[in-house]
Amino acid sequence: MIRLENVSKRYGNGHYGVIDVNLEIHRGEFIFLVGPSGAGKSSLIRMLYREELPTSGEIYLDEFRLSQLRRTQVSRLRRQLGVVFQDVKLLTNRTVFQNVAFAMEVVGAKGHDIQKRVPQVLELVGLARRRNNLPHQLSGGEQQRVGIARALVNNPVYVIADEPTGNLDPETAFDIIKLLNEINRRGATIVMATHAKEIVNQMHKRVVAVENGRVVRDEARGAYGYEP
Amino acid sequence: MNLNSVWYIAKETGRNLVYNIWMTLASVSTVAISMFVLSFFLVLTVNMTHLTTVLQSQVEMRVFINANVPRHSEMTLLKQADQWPGVRKIQFFTKQQAADSLKKEFPDQRDLLTLISKSNPLFDGFNVYTKNPNEIPALAVRFQHEKAVHNVVYEGQVVSRLSRLSVIMKWVGWAVELLLGLATLFIIVNTIRLAVFARRREVAVMKLVGATDWFIRWPFVLEGLVLGIVGAGVADLVVSQGYHWLIMAATGALPFWPMAPYAQVMAKTWDFTLIGGLVVGGVASIVALRRFLKV
Ligand SMILES: Nc1ncnc2c1ncn2[C@@H]1O[C@H](COP(=O)(O)OP(=O)(O)O)[C@@H](O)[C@H]1O
Ligand SMILES: [Mg+2]
Repeated sequence: MIRLENVSKRYGNGHYGVIDVNLEIHRGEFIFLVGPSGAGKSSLIRMLYREELPTSGEIYLDEFRLSQLRRTQVSRLRRQLGVVFQDVKLLTNRTVFQNVAFAMEVVGAKGHDIQKRVPQVLELVGLARRRNNLPHQLSGGEQQRVGIARALVNNPVYVIADEPTGNLDPETAFDIIKLLNEINRRGATIVMATHAKEIVNQMHKRVVAVENGRVVRDEARGAYGYEP
Repeated sequence: MNLNSVWYIAKETGRNLVYNIWMTLASVSTVAISMFVLSFFLVLTVNMTHLTTVLQSQVEMRVFINANVPRHSEMTLLKQADQWPGVRKIQFFTKQQAADSLKKEFPDQRDLLTLISKSNPLFDGFNVYTKNPNEIPALAVRFQHEKAVHNVVYEGQVVSRLSRLSVIMKWVGWAVELLLGLATLFIIVNTIRLAVFARRREVAVMKLVGATDWFIRWPFVLEGLVLGIVGAGVADLVVSQGYHWLIMAATGALPFWPMAPYAQVMAKTWDFTLIGGLVVGGVASIVALRRFLKV
């Protein structure tokens, strides 16, 4: 479970990213984080994987208390998480397979585990036949699938995605959401910040709306709720 | 850390080195130059020390006894002087032995030698060996005060100047080495900085998926160490070839000159340069990582 208690984030320039947010996310949930640009979605997500710390309040993630982590625990925390970005952050000089394998190599996975696991994940995201391609040889949607495969390959409990479909056309975006839904069905908890109104409205998942850094709405089977 | 990780880190280190090949070459060259200069001073000081010991083991001081002094008085003085502090060894020689050794030392000076052989004007005396060449002047004065002594001759000035010079050379060597070391450090730090920059995306992904700090740092630390060791190795190759050649040249041109033995010199330069290379590479990677790699 992820729990945010009175979390505020004030940046060095005096701007607030989020203000006094309280939120509980349970295992197995699929949550859309919606809100206009600059509302504070990315700020909230960066605190979940402890890229940043709250200036006040506390975040708990399973047994981790995020403001109290020592450096070695930060890497343990991150192994529980799979993070996906709008700009996928693939390594441009490595193949699809190598990009995904990289995430296992650097946490010390064994060679034969890597050889077994990476093809499974590539199969799941539908890229089994693209394993030897370089990122620039792939479409935007395929690149994002590689990003998702990389996030999944270490079997994270939570998958955290910041506008993963932001660069994609609606149809491709929908494929990505179906993929995340499948991953959720297999047990991972999904937190996804998004602008994609159609998708949110169609999925009938929990929707947490953020405006000016504050949570203004939290509905179990919600809708996007904004006009674009 | 398992074998895969070791292999992975080695691979990434190699990738860093090849990716920035020009900086790699620049670093290796500066390490090599720096270690070459270090070796140069080492070779010099080892040789000076060697020369000093060789000279020291030769006769350091000759004490000549007045011609009218009876043999038993000479022997008494010999026994006394043997107990004086600073005296390592003392040997008596007769004027006949002195003339013989002169003949051996200067076989070509026929006129002088005929003169010596006929009239034998030299004195009986002592060869005195000291524990420390610095003590020679004081001992010379002490002998001079003895009534039986005619005069004292010594080459100790050469030796003590030589040992003072080698101390100075050591300090000059270390000062030059310090400056070169700093320059080398600077170059390696920049090489690693470029590697960190080239790998910023990898580093970001590694952090994101939960690689440990040291897993991220190791390839860069290894890179620094490899640059240091390889540079030192290059310097050692040049120095060992060079010194080998020098010994050959010296035996041809200056056969009486005592060169320090090859093995002794190489043992010293290898130790110093390899440790020097490791230290400069290691320190450089620590500096570079503290400044440029935010994990
Ligand atoms: N690194 C930062 N430094 C300063 N202000 C920031 C930083 N990141 C975000 N902000 C500010 O925090 C607010 C929320 O931004 P963000 O979390 O990026 O919103 P969203 O992802 O919903 O578009 C904005 O006012 C933005 O200017
Ligand atoms: Mg954002």
